[in-house]
Amino acid sequence: MAGRRRGRIGGGVEVLDSIYSVVALVFILVACVELGDAATAVDVYRLIQYDIAGVPYGSRLAGLNHHAGASFFAPGADLSRTVVMMPVRELNLTFLREYIISNQPLGGLLLLLPEKVGNRIVGKIKSKDDGLMRNILVELEQLLIHANIPYPVYFAFEDDKINAVLADVRRNDATGQPPMATTGGYKLLVSIPEPKRVSSPTITNIQGWLPGLKGDGDTNQLPTIAVVASYDTFGAAPALSVGSDSNGSGVVALLEIARLFSRLYSNPKTRGRYNLLFGLTSGGPYNYDGTLKWLRSFDQRLRESIEYAICLNSIGSWKNELWIHVSKPPENAYIKQVHESLSDVANELGVTIGIKHKKINISNPRVAWEHEQFSRLRITAVTLSELSAAPELLESTGGLHDTRDSLDEAAVYRTIRLVAESLAKHIYGHQGRNIQIFADNSSLAINPFYISAWLDLLSRAPRVAPFLSKTDPIISSLKKELSDHTVELHVQHETIDGMFSFYDSTRATLNVYQVASVAFDLLLLLALGAYLILLFSFLVLTTRGLDDLINLFRRPPSRKVKAA
Amino acid sequence: MTVFHFFNCAILTFGPHAVYYSATPLSEYDTIGTSAKAAAVYLGTALVKLVCLATFLKESENGNFDPYQELLKVLINFIDVAGLYFALTQLTHRNISQNHKFQAVGLGWAFADSVLHRLAPLWVGARGLEFTWEYVFQGLEANANLVLNLSLAALGSLMWLRKNKPRILIPIIYACAGVLATMPSITSYLRRALGWQPAKAVGFELFSSLMMAFLSWQLFSACQRPA
Repeated sequence: MAGRRRGRIGGGVEVLDSIYSVVALVFILVACVELGDAATAVDVYRLIQYDIAGVPYGSRLAGLNHHAGASFFAPGADLSRTVVMMPVRELNLTFLREYIISNQPLGGLLLLLPEKVGNRIVGKIKSKDDGLMRNILVELEQLLIHANIPYPVYFAFEDDKINAVLADVRRNDATGQPPMATTGGYKLLVSIPEPKRVSSPTITNIQGWLPGLKGDGDTNQLPTIAVVASYDTFGAAPALSVGSDSNGSGVVALLEIARLFSRLYSNPKTRGRYNLLFGLTSGGPYNYDGTLKWLRSFDQRLRESIEYAICLNSIGSWKNELWIHVSKPPENAYIKQVHESLSDVANELGVTIGIKHKKINISNPRVAWEHEQFSRLRITAVTLSELSAAPELLESTGGLHDTRDSLDEAAVYRTIRLVAESLAKHIYGHQGRNIQIFADNSSLAINPFYISAWLDLLSRAPRVAPFLSKTDPIISSLKKELSDHTVELHVQHETIDGMFSFYDSTRATLNVYQVASVAFDLLLLLALGAYLILLFSFLVLTTRGLDDLINLFRRPPSRKVKAA
Repeated sequence: MTVFHFFNCAILTFGPHAVYYSATPLSEYDTIGTSAKAAAVYLGTALVKLVCLATFLKESENGNFDPYQELLKVLINFIDVAGLYFALTQLTHRNISQNHKFQAVGLGWAFADSVLHRLAPLWVGARGLEFTWEYVFQGLEANANLVLNLSLAALGSLMWLRKNKPRILIPIIYACAGVLATMPSITSYLRRALGWQPAKAVGFELFSSLMMAFLSWQLFSACQRPA
């Protein structure tokens, strides 16, 4: 008996303890109820939001919390509370253009890009489908960048999960039923803070200096040749703008040329009598603002010593023809010299170099090529590019279509060969002679693995300047690499021209929830109410009898009588 | 809408207990104390069961059905029965008839079971945006559980509290009690090993609990008649 008693007290304490722990657990659970419980969570990338001189462009909202729809034509759908999910390859661009321009309401737009291609296709022209997709993406990007869209626009990559959701949404749209529990309406949710203006978007210019061999009697400054490439990009989805061709190819070419010449210049016997200046500039898409600021930072002597500058822009996917763009007339002696030296090497390689002349209009703020910034400061410069026509503002700046597999490594190799050989011929005075300095299988051969590795790295690094901090890893990599190849490295930080302002929140996570309509829950409530009432009546009937049930609903009249 | 859904599922899970209490004469005799004590005993039993499971059960690498482990789980489930015995016989109850005692104990037991096993998932899960049928099924399961526990309590009171039972019925009573006690194991076997859909499993639970309740009722009323 006593033992049992003690057992009971011990049991009581145990029960109390377990109650405490249960209560504590309950509090913890209550505290963390915002657990992810979505059917699917997808990485999404927001359309860029920016202003030019106060005029807004791009998507002006970031937060998303609406039902998913699959087309613009679903009957009875309220499009202002729907997010339309659409794969890019099924997009009707003319319809979309009309829709956006006429400012029709929409809850949001989710564009699905084709799956990320993991493998690289080297050299060959891709299939017709890929070409078609490129054109669609280019057109889509231009449409979205130059429109003012008052609702959120997101990009996502197609994968199994989101394809399943899309198929479901399509099925529901087809049947025209409002979303019910069993038919599965989907709700898309992106919770992201409201986009804020990027306070002072910085551009970082990196320059490397390889001094030439000064003779004992030389008092004057040695002449300088500059090789310049702008490394930043701009695109519809800033988190996806890796700009492999525009201008990752130019950057890689510059780095390889720097590497080759640093080998030559490391030995005083092979050091040329020219200084070499390598410049990785930023701010390219914004009228080459960074280049202008970089040039303005030069002192007068340096500026005067530059004999000519070669700017590299998009040299990664050409076959037989490359273009030199100039702003001085082609008859100019310096230009002619540059053109001839490049053409000589080009003939050896079996490709042609065309020359295009575009006059600078001082009153027009638009700077289409990098060499124009040099020309405005009276420095002879040319741009070497595969593009034959000058791009418009924010065109050909690396975007959705410009990924690793749109590059041809052989083209980059050929360009490096072209520029390096012609530079070397000029520096060492071998014009007209048939000498190959950077021949294959020599110690100065161009290294295809180096090219490949750097192209890979750049194709994984989105480089939209306002979203690149001063200490961004890609900037540090470029700084380190250029400092390895040059004697003196100098970094300049500036802010982008005040005409452009940018807003942050470029990537987010989309949660897809399968939801039931309120009607369903109301029905459920009614059913439950009926069930409980039935249960109640049944229990009263069986345990107390019918009279009791009836008595529940009748006020007892006897009390009133008694009171009276 | 989601809190609404939580509210609905909560009503489905806990409503019947409240309705049972208020509809039957239990509320007239104010047996809440008994139910509370039964709930407390349930908590203790749950703790003991957890300790035994942790001590004796091995974690299976793949989700396959291991008969030995399941047998062990069945044995541990009998601790439930022991707990019920304790609640029915050892606790001091106020002067309430046996009829009401087992109902109160069963109710308290089932309520504690629902709260412990179903409240937390409901709170965390049903309030989210995502809709699943899971919580509705859980509520239906809670209902089945209530009926099951009442039947078990009835049979338990027959076994341990009533002295004069007709000889023929005794083995039947014990058999039914055994089936009731192993019911959780049976449902988990159906779910995991045979891979029944949740809807089917819940349907089976409801059906079986009603059958067993009917059987227990018959047995109980058979034993009511003076021998």
